Amino acid sequence: MDLFLQRLFDGLTNGSAYALIAVALVLIFKATTLINFAQGEQAMLGAFIVLQLWNWGLPMWIAVITGMLISGLLAGGLERAIIRRFDPADHLPLVIITLGLFLVLNAVAAIIWRYDPLAFPQLFPHGSALTIGNARLSWYSIFAFGSCILVLLLLHVLLNKTKIGLSFRAVSSNLESSRLCGIKVGPTLQFGWALAAAAGTFGASIYAANPVLQIEPSIMLRALIFSITAAALGGLDSLWGALLGGLTIGFIQSVLVQYIPFIPNEMTLAATVAVLLIVLTFRPSGFLGTKAVERV
Amino acid sequence: MKARFTLTKGSTQYRNYRISVWALLILIFLLIGFAFVDVGSISIGSNKYNLSLIRLNKAIAYGVAILGLQVVVGYTGQIALGQSFFFGMGAYIAAWLVADHSWPFLLTLLVVVPSCFLAGMIFGLPALRIKGLYLALLTFGLASIFPTIVKLDSLNVYTGGANGKLTGYKFKAPSWIPLDEIAQMLQNIPLLGPFFGDGPLSNREESRLWKYMLFAIIATICFWLISNLIKSRPGRAMRAIRDNETSAAVSGINLALTKTISFGVASALGGIGGAIYVAEVGIASPDDFSSLVAIYLIVGLVVGGVGTLEGAIIGGLVYALIPDWASSTQSVAFVPERWLQGPTGSLILGILLILLTLFMPGGISTALKKTKKKYIQIQNPSLK
Repeated sequence: MDLFLQRLFDGLTNGSAYALIAVALVLIFKATTLINFAQGEQAMLGAFIVLQLWNWGLPMWIAVITGMLISGLLAGGLERAIIRRFDPADHLPLVIITLGLFLVLNAVAAIIWRYDPLAFPQLFPHGSALTIGNARLSWYSIFAFGSCILVLLLLHVLLNKTKIGLSFRAVSSNLESSRLCGIKVGPTLQFGWALAAAAGTFGASIYAANPVLQIEPSIMLRALIFSITAAALGGLDSLWGALLGGLTIGFIQSVLVQYIPFIPNEMTLAATVAVLLIVLTFRPSGFLGTKAVERV
Repeated sequence: MKARFTLTKGSTQYRNYRISVWALLILIFLLIGFAFVDVGSISIGSNKYNLSLIRLNKAIAYGVAILGLQVVVGYTGQIALGQSFFFGMGAYIAAWLVADHSWPFLLTLLVVVPSCFLAGMIFGLPALRIKGLYLALLTFGLASIFPTIVKLDSLNVYTGGANGKLTGYKFKAPSWIPLDEIAQMLQNIPLLGPFFGDGPLSNREESRLWKYMLFAIIATICFWLISNLIKSRPGRAMRAIRDNETSAAVSGINLALTKTISFGVASALGGIGGAIYVAEVGIASPDDFSSLVAIYLIVGLVVGGVGTLEGAIIGGLVYALIPDWASSTQSVAFVPERWLQGPTGSLILGILLILLTLFMPGGISTALKKTKKKYIQIQNPSLK
């Protein structure tokens, strides 16, 4: 029982981190119907910027917010300089561009900060909040989950109660019509990219602040697959779905795989990809996504 | 625009032109082999760039794998990123058969090709329902799980786990090919002789040269088969699917069959590439087949030119040489040394990928073709 609880808590911890990256993926998908393969690397780079600011003496939460702003600006610039030149309906060039960004960002981080793992600032208090038998729920898990909810609430308010959120939703629902209504489509998409990068940076910071992890350039490689699956599972255009998907993947990883005897421990990644396969084949709209209707 | 030379298809002139181009290519290929078998490096400034046959052999392996991507991405238009999975699968099957069952290398292809073909068809099945971006997601996931699969404890006996699988296979050139004599002859050419080293070839050099030729023959066969496939009925069906799936279906093309065959062919080529790779390197290790490799193969595809067969050759060379040269560049004017250490190859490939997609969507091979058109124009009388 203790073990089960412990695994449940672990799932919550990992799931919240995946959910945050998944939120970033969903934001870009909503805006441009594009999967940004470089999202994980953008988030990693953002977390490194946070680390660097912290090393320069900024207080850690100020560092996080400044890092989010910087990575948001960078992503906005990338969108303006590269992404906007392409036709959003033609997927192959865009996928290739994001793969190129993936390579470049990963290499840049590795060149600047090298491959040595570095300690990330501990954003949350140490120790465990709750102990049931031998199972510990650490403060970190609670805060990670809490900040995930907080980000989603903020995004919800931003998208539903503000002017820019309204134009973002308009663009994501119909690009052509919103252009005709006088919405500046380009800057709105740019805003979406910036928002996604900021959310991703926040997610990677939370992920790296896990007391058992250190930050290094390949930290998001595995997490990206989990987050992509989380986003697909929740429905690629649903923010709250991303949370649901993230938690599900976290639980699959830490609970389900442990209790199915014929799946070895190292197969969590493979199990995740299997989930992805099943979701995409049988229910591409995921838990909460909009069903795609194809007109032939 | 008038080209400098105009040739008509079917004429004697055209035939002579074809024959001389092919002869020239084969000659250059052989000369490169003999010239770079032992030393093979070019010095620019204080940097030394290796061009030895090891890298060219790797380039052949990558080229065949990229040829597979050309079939599925370039001609069928399915965004499949998982080629490293089949590349690794071919490599591991070949390594396992050679090491544990002491098969000769060439025979392993008889197992590699059908098994990778089947696996590709099976993984192509979801692609019948999953399209575009979703397929990219799924195949990217597939590519990233390959290392974890071969590292499984239960497969350790076959794959050698994290340490990799040594093949221990030695290539020996058959005695009827006078490699030594040719090398001798080339060395005796006045002025150019020193480029070909001196003295007879050692055993190792001979085996390396033999591998180079053998791999090139395998690759040529693959290219020839694929070029025929592309021009034939299934190939036209693939291109129809790429251009418009709905109208292809309406025209009576069996989408399911064509797509799965395209996936199967692509994966079989990936497997052959992997087998060549492991024959060259001598060890199949899990990290040689990570998702990064899948992305690098895509780089090769795009830089060479999506939807062109020649692009696969250029792409293989780019993948085999650029990261290697980038890491052996130790000093460049105006660039701080710190920026030349670490994964510069990956940085350059990434930048290439972005720049080429932005400014030269046809890749290098399309640019080369444009240049060629300025000089030589080929007319097809049957189209007049």
